[in-house]
Amino acid sequence: MSFYERMMNLDRRWVYLVIGVVVVVTAIWSFAVPMYVTPEARSVYDFVDGLVPGEVLMIGVDYAPEVMAELHPMTYAITRQCFAKDAKLLLCCLHQNGPGMVEQVIAQVAEEYDKVNGIDYVYLGYKPYPAITILAMGQNFRIPFPEDYYGTPLDSLPMMRNMTNFDNVKAIINISGGSGTEYWINYANGRYNAKLAIGVTGVMTADYYPFLQSGQIFGLIGGMKGAAEYEYLAEKAGYISREKDQLWASKSMPIQTTTHIVIILFIVIGNVGYFMSKRKK
Amino acid sequence: MIIFPCSKAPRYRPFLRVVFLLICILLIDPSWSLAQEDLTESWFNPNRVNMLVFLVFFFGVIIYFIRRAKKGKSLFIRRIAGLDAIEEAVGRATEMGRPVLFVPGIEDVNQIQTVAAMIILGNVAKMVAGYDIPLFVPICRPFVVPVAEERVKEGYASAGRPDAYNRDNVRYISDEQFAYAAGVQGIMLRDKPMANLLFGSFFAESLMLAETGFLTGAIQVAGTANIHQLPFFVVACDYTIIGEELFATSAYLSKEPKLLGSLKGSDLAKAVIMGILALGAILVSFGVIEFKNWFFIQ
Amino acid sequence: MGTAELIWNGVAAFLVLCIYSFLYKDNPFYKFAEHLVVGVSAGYFAMILYYNAFLPKLIHPLLAGQWWYIIPGILGLLMWARFSRKYQWLSRPTLGFVIGSGAGVAIPLYLQNYVIRQVHATMLPVGFTSWPLITNLLIIIMVFCSLTYFYFSKQHKGAFGAAATFGIWTLMIGFGAGFGMTVMGRVALLAERVVFLRDYFAELLSALF
Repeated sequence: MSFYERMMNLDRRWVYLVIGVVVVVTAIWSFAVPMYVTPEARSVYDFVDGLVPGEVLMIGVDYAPEVMAELHPMTYAITRQCFAKDAKLLLCCLHQNGPGMVEQVIAQVAEEYDKVNGIDYVYLGYKPYPAITILAMGQNFRIPFPEDYYGTPLDSLPMMRNMTNFDNVKAIINISGGSGTEYWINYANGRYNAKLAIGVTGVMTADYYPFLQSGQIFGLIGGMKGAAEYEYLAEKAGYISREKDQLWASKSMPIQTTTHIVIILFIVIGNVGYFMSKRKK
Repeated sequence: MIIFPCSKAPRYRPFLRVVFLLICILLIDPSWSLAQEDLTESWFNPNRVNMLVFLVFFFGVIIYFIRRAKKGKSLFIRRIAGLDAIEEAVGRATEMGRPVLFVPGIEDVNQIQTVAAMIILGNVAKMVAGYDIPLFVPICRPFVVPVAEERVKEGYASAGRPDAYNRDNVRYISDEQFAYAAGVQGIMLRDKPMANLLFGSFFAESLMLAETGFLTGAIQVAGTANIHQLPFFVVACDYTIIGEELFATSAYLSKEPKLLGSLKGSDLAKAVIMGILALGAILVSFGVIEFKNWFFIQ
Repeated sequence: MGTAELIWNGVAAFLVLCIYSFLYKDNPFYKFAEHLVVGVSAGYFAMILYYNAFLPKLIHPLLAGQWWYIIPGILGLLMWARFSRKYQWLSRPTLGFVIGSGAGVAIPLYLQNYVIRQVHATMLPVGFTSWPLITNLLIIIMVFCSLTYFYFSKQHKGAFGAAATFGIWTLMIGFGAGFGMTVMGRVALLAERVVFLRDYFAELLSALF
């Protein structure tokens, strides 16, 4: 086997080993990564920053623990920013493995800002069949969610007294790791013209740029990089703090950088091997 | 699914179905809603006439072409290049005397991609029967097993080789995504098929399967409409049937009127959209925005 | 980190290492971790569905005297008939209702959001006098050529074939972007787990020594 053929047929376990070493070394000896903020992430940040005290933002959290790494930082950053602005939050979860995680976020952040359940935020909980749930919420939140996550009737919650449907929220931010985003775009924005922004995993980001371009969504936070951009803006404004270990996504950016460089090198090696061995034949 | 006992004239049924569907759509339009206390909203939302026009057009062309196909009129569909790749893969497996592996995706039989995969499986079974090499079909969902068995049996029978059909080659592996992938990878590594045909709905296991197949040196032809998995198939397979080509392949092979008619109808719709885009862009470039605004949905 | 948190995070770290051991080869530790996650998520989902959907949407309304909820309840039960070859036909009304209502709601909205609104957004001014106009022209040409690739009623020959070839190149560029984003997403998940392991072992070592 020639040298170029060996390059092409490199055992994948060597690739895993090299990437593993690079990741571990970067995790131990980290460095600062300069951040460039994309316009689509900035537009979400600017919108939330423009909320006045008392306005209600709805966050649809539709992901499971397997994509927590990319989406949890966004959820935390947006929630902290909202509470810092004294805006009210209405949360719901349309993924079956997500309710506990959402509860963890809202309970922790509410405690940091002394926010009270039922007055400053309401967590509706989980209901199956996202399409039907979103369509029903567009009519009235009480149709799919007569009670909140904790079993309290919505009518008895002070924050929900003047809230009927999507017309009463300033905007919806959907943070999703699956097909939930599609339902929010089709039903919340498509049917009810609700103002919508999305935060999605890296895998899904490319699919939703057409909706950004057409104006169906006003912002897009894409993957862990998008979450890091959001954290960068929020840290600059003082909503989150590095000292309190509130920058999740930003911690992983050095690892992303070095790993991507290694992957690009392997792609180059493989392609050089391919073209040179083809030429030799 | 919609029954019209009132109409005994079959030729009016498609149009009545369209009208019935439009009435249902208007009834569930948010401009008329029982949940609202104020029922002064009208039954008809004039801001959405453009949607109505598009709906009538799309439904109309598809129904028209389905009826044409049912009447036996010839509807031209170009031969998909992937079919040649499948034939080449099966031919190479025959030369090497090694089996063919057909993986029909991981979704259930009610998914359109699995239905398309079953049609292609029947065609592959017919090819393979003629060459007397084994065809392995590992299945992820129990309900798919009888359908796959039937398609393979029919394929062998239509090639005049019903005796060559081996029921054990169509086997259920596991419902669980990665357990299924591990099972298929095991078949690839042990039985070393020369041709791997991956058609249907795949998710995260797509790259695992394609990579393992690549390592064994098999010729791989894949086809899926799951956009996220297409890049992995494109890099790891010899030929990839992209998105709608999968449905076009199944329509081309089966000649089923509904599939053919839907394909031709959507082709006409695509042509109209291309025309609208070109006209709209030219008009907007000259400052005429009324045409573009007509497509704006409030 | 308290002792309980140290122990539970230790279990999490052990399971992460079990899953990653698959990178070398399949082994019992990986199989154990995989089966554990499958079992836990299935059980968790069953309980979530029971407490968030079954109880509040069927049992509680029935017990509150809203008898009409029995109708969807029966329709739901009829779906179980699909497992019987003899009584499979009983599930048809439910399937018909679900498919019919789903299609009736979804089709116009998908047409609106995936076709009409996209067509509207793609009607962009084009020209050669500025970079945005040139970019718009490129977008429209690429959309055109991609649609041409998926046109099945004409052979890909001549100018049409050239447009289709450009279309497939456009698609490949899109797939490349998607592939890159996917790699970024997977690396992000790996990075987070490595950071978790690093922080956990640092805590463990400081707790032990």
